[in-house]
Amino acid sequence: MTGLFRLLTTLLTAAMVFVTANAAPAAAPDATADPVEEEATKVDPKEIIFEHLGDGYGWEVPFDHHHRIPLPVIVWGHDGLHCFSSAHLDHGATYTDGNSTFVIAGVDSPHKGKVVEIVDGREERPFDISITKNVAALFICILIVGGVMLWLASYYRRRHLRAPRKGLGAVEACVTFVYDGVIRPTLGPESKRFAPYLLTVFFFILVMNLMGLIVIFPGGANLTGNIAVTLVLSVCTFLVTNLFANKHYWKEIFWPDVPIWLKFPIPIMQVIEVFGIFTKPAALTVRLFANMMGGHMIVITLTLLIFIFTAVSPAAGGASTVVSLAFSIFMLLIDVLVSFIQAYVFTMLSTLFIALAQEKEHGKEAHQVQADLKEELAAGPLTAETKVIDNK
Amino acid sequence: MELFTPDFGLIFWMFIAFGILFLVLWKFAWPMILKTVDARADLIDKGVEYAQDAKEQLDNARRQAEEYLNEARRQQADMLRDADKMKTQIIEQARSAAKEEAAKVMDNAKLQIRQQQKEAEQQFRDRVSEFAVAIAGKIVGQQIKEDDAQNRLVDQLIDRMEKTN
Repeated sequence: MTGLFRLLTTLLTAAMVFVTANAAPAAAPDATADPVEEEATKVDPKEIIFEHLGDGYGWEVPFDHHHRIPLPVIVWGHDGLHCFSSAHLDHGATYTDGNSTFVIAGVDSPHKGKVVEIVDGREERPFDISITKNVAALFICILIVGGVMLWLASYYRRRHLRAPRKGLGAVEACVTFVYDGVIRPTLGPESKRFAPYLLTVFFFILVMNLMGLIVIFPGGANLTGNIAVTLVLSVCTFLVTNLFANKHYWKEIFWPDVPIWLKFPIPIMQVIEVFGIFTKPAALTVRLFANMMGGHMIVITLTLLIFIFTAVSPAAGGASTVVSLAFSIFMLLIDVLVSFIQAYVFTMLSTLFIALAQEKEHGKEAHQVQADLKEELAAGPLTAETKVIDNK
Repeated sequence: MELFTPDFGLIFWMFIAFGILFLVLWKFAWPMILKTVDARADLIDKGVEYAQDAKEQLDNARRQAEEYLNEARRQQADMLRDADKMKTQIIEQARSAAKEEAAKVMDNAKLQIRQQQKEAEQQFRDRVSEFAVAIAGKIVGQQIKEDDAQNRLVDQLIDRMEKTN
């Protein structure tokens, strides 16, 4: 770490000297530039960050701010279903399909950035299931995960018990890492039943995380940093946990082994336990969402620092280019690690929640698992904090 | 904050897409993958066990062979020692037998010598008594009749002489 820091400081100093020497004369004509043009090129960091983190009706093309890859807009307006290309709505254009007129709501609208139907001059949000950038990225990830896993399965079918090499070998290593490292030790005899769900979740999150780090077309969508995606995943874990839970699990919730005054006549423990059923998936949702969104936000912010500093002085902008670039690369590498860790943590916690609902006897192991779980939950927010500290 | 309000469209598609992915993989991929991974792990375990067994057996065999070899060496050494012992014994026996034989021969010889000595002595005595009688006859002037009484007397005299000597 210190070595890296020293390297960065050296680079910064060198860049400062170089840029001030070259840019000082060049900065002079800038001062006389047209104020209107300056206004147009002014950077609004917040807007850029939220645009990158959020969803969109088209997919950005690198180096081109005017064209986007058009994606289908599917809305249920006042007079039924409408399906048209998002290219019709580019640059704030209105589009009339049949009797309905649609437009992407402007900055001041409460539905900012979403497709709205104009009814009697008012904006109304239709029922919107458009294939947005995030949905398209989701489909791509599904195809990748499904394709790779079916490929691996077909490899096994063709070459019985032969170990795959290279790419498929790496996929298999991940499968055994999760299956033998997390699922089997935690779920024991029940692992065959739940492994398909847990492994699907792991690889799906992993691919979505990694695809989010690729900045151009097939990637670049901030999927796992979108609360809708993580919400659906944790709702699935919630459903699997509670639908397949055994009698013991429900007994622990509604009549736990505690002194009677804790559960009757005022059901203190019951309230806490029922609350716990819902906090577990909520923690899953927020952990994955916050970690991935944080990673994306930090990289974008570091990149934006270049423009913010350039607005102050070109010299500082030039210097910050080097620093920002170095830090962005560093952060992206950390994000690769975080992508894996978060997929792993989500799978591990899902496995634990499911395992707790499968517990047969209230033995010593159950306490142990619960203690581990609490430790893990306590460590959750901390990891996010340390990440931020790392960045500072 | 738009980031914290989940978008319905995305939730809808996410449910469908994830559901399809799960069902497809659950039906076509995971059973095969997990079965193979498990089967291969078992196979490897079995292989390791087999190799360990084989190694143990090999070690056992090697140890046994070594034991046999040592046993054979010990037997060889025993046999050599026995042979050596037998050799010295035989030589010893032969030597003692020879000694005995020699002693016997010597004894025989001594006995014979003593016998001959005795015979010679007897002859000498007979001659001496003959001479003594002849000498005495001449002295007395007449032929002393040679009879047993005279001979006995001479013998007695000689015995007395021997005793006094």
